Amino acid sequence: MITEYTGIAPKGDLLLLQKLGEKLAGKSFLHINSTRLGGGVAEILQRMVPILKELGIEARWEVIEGDEQFFHITKKIHNALQGKAIKISREMWEYHFEVNRQNAERLSPEADAIFIHDPQPAPMVEFRKGGKWIWRCHIDLSKPVKNVAAFLKRYCEKYDAAIFSVAKFVMPMAIDQFIILPSIDPLSEKNRDLTGKEIAEATGRLYIPLDRPILLQVSRFDRFKDPIGVIQIYRMVKKYNDCILVLAGSPATDDPEGAAVLKEVKEFAGDDPDIHILLLPPDADRDVNVLQRVATIVLQKSLKEGFGLTISEGMWKGKPVIGGAVGGIPMQIIDGVNGFLVHSVEGAAFRARQLLNNAEMAKEMGERGRDHVRTNFLMTRQIRDYLSVWYFLEQGGKTILEL
Amino acid sequence: MEKEVQPFEFKQCVTVPKSTGKSAKNLRKLRQLLRRVTDESIIHHTCQYFSYGHVLEHTNGFAQWVAESLGEKALSEHLSNIDPYDFWSIEDLRHELLKAIDSRLQVPPRPRDAMGGDEFFFSEAITLVFPAHIRALNLAEFLIGIRYIDKSSIYYHFYEARIRLKGETDDFSKWFASSLANEGLADKIGSIDPFMHTLEEVRKHIVEIVEDEIKKTMEERSA
Repeated sequence: MITEYTGIAPKGDLLLLQKLGEKLAGKSFLHINSTRLGGGVAEILQRMVPILKELGIEARWEVIEGDEQFFHITKKIHNALQGKAIKISREMWEYHFEVNRQNAERLSPEADAIFIHDPQPAPMVEFRKGGKWIWRCHIDLSKPVKNVAAFLKRYCEKYDAAIFSVAKFVMPMAIDQFIILPSIDPLSEKNRDLTGKEIAEATGRLYIPLDRPILLQVSRFDRFKDPIGVIQIYRMVKKYNDCILVLAGSPATDDPEGAAVLKEVKEFAGDDPDIHILLLPPDADRDVNVLQRVATIVLQKSLKEGFGLTISEGMWKGKPVIGGAVGGIPMQIIDGVNGFLVHSVEGAAFRARQLLNNAEMAKEMGERGRDHVRTNFLMTRQIRDYLSVWYFLEQGGKTILEL
Repeated sequence: MEKEVQPFEFKQCVTVPKSTGKSAKNLRKLRQLLRRVTDESIIHHTCQYFSYGHVLEHTNGFAQWVAESLGEKALSEHLSNIDPYDFWSIEDLRHELLKAIDSRLQVPPRPRDAMGGDEFFFSEAITLVFPAHIRALNLAEFLIGIRYIDKSSIYYHFYEARIRLKGETDDFSKWFASSLANEGLADKIGSIDPFMHTLEEVRKHIVEIVEDEIKKTMEERSA
């Protein structure tokens, strides 16, 4: 499996993966999260576990079980950690702990390294018997509800290390805290190379015309993704350059506001035949891939963002990107080099016009973007970093490690 | 008996950033923290800045932040002009950075705060060094190697070496001088300005210089 990445991922990443594999071969590596399907964490684990096994590491992936009440509580904790004013009662925390205790009994979390993903299984650390325990936080903790973060911190500080996606998401704690950027899998259905036939089939089925430049935003119908702003951008651009707009997203079943936002977007779009609002099923990865490949410009005009990996996905397909300067987007876009960072609808419209009027610049930015993703945002780099953290802990915390 | 040539072993390195948990929302706080953060943190935001390929108008993370988040263009230029490899110790480098910040703080207007979420986050890094499994015994082999290796190997031998070798030179120049006894070539490689190029540009320059050297040697032999 790892050989499939040869010629795609940087040679050095693959070499280091092998080196770390040699050092950690025969050791056990357990990952625990809260869902087997759906979401970026499960997506990465599905691909990562077989690669780790191929490297000689005894990798295992377990999922915690809980009833509706448990997941209702963890959703609330999640939202509070992301800044929504929500109170988590003592009883809720107790239930959260109790379900984790039952899972610890069922799963017997014993391994040389244990990665616990996100807050749902965080209390699992209370039942540690041995090995290195690492808490991997995938969510934005930059403005949490303070007492919710403080409660969670009691568990987190019992880990040997924590990993966050962006420096500003880090929670002050007295343990080693690493910054490991998220990644995309270049071989997944969402990012692999497609044939002309596959592209033609999907664009035909989705009624996407290919006779004019396409502005694309792929995101949930969520106000923080600013879909209305994207339509405004398109209208400003359209005055000067004939183009079409594709807004594609999955219905957000866990977000009661999703339907209302979609309705607003449809009303705002009116009867413009050049605005294509696509409601895709959650597993429509290939369709997303097709849309990103036929797009002229990929937008992610978010007002608030976790990391915004749609930027990396667009860049990987060699597209110029325009992103709101929020969340993890500035980590991906080097302004004016591999895309544009914008702060307003007007700024985004101006940059889109610039790109539509300068095909050479658009092409160069797209090429630089693909190279940037190849170096920094492929899954092989993320696995490499995970193993590096584990190896660092095994080596007693030396900061320069010769392999 | 001819002296045996010491081979050049290409190595490469990767860094994994580690948070210090300290952040600054304005210049005063930056100064306060800069005085007491670890040497590793100073190295991360200056010397290791080059490993991320951000060679734009800034040459270190402090310069980038004061320009982009505080709008302090003049101070950014001042900080960008500080060569981290020009100092005998990280303490001296720290002192120079503080001096630049002090010179700005002494004059009005008072610098503004960064927007929420746009603070300066002090980090450090762990570094993993590993062999690229490419070894050169002569210039022709070196040329093939330098063309083939990853960018991170250029960083390790051309930038990181300056910290390791205490600012003396880079690994390439050192090998040309000590193992190939070619001081002229060492000087040419040593004169490539690390500040003014991306890692790929450094590679391109080294390839050009080494190609010229090989061509010159071949011409001299056939003359």
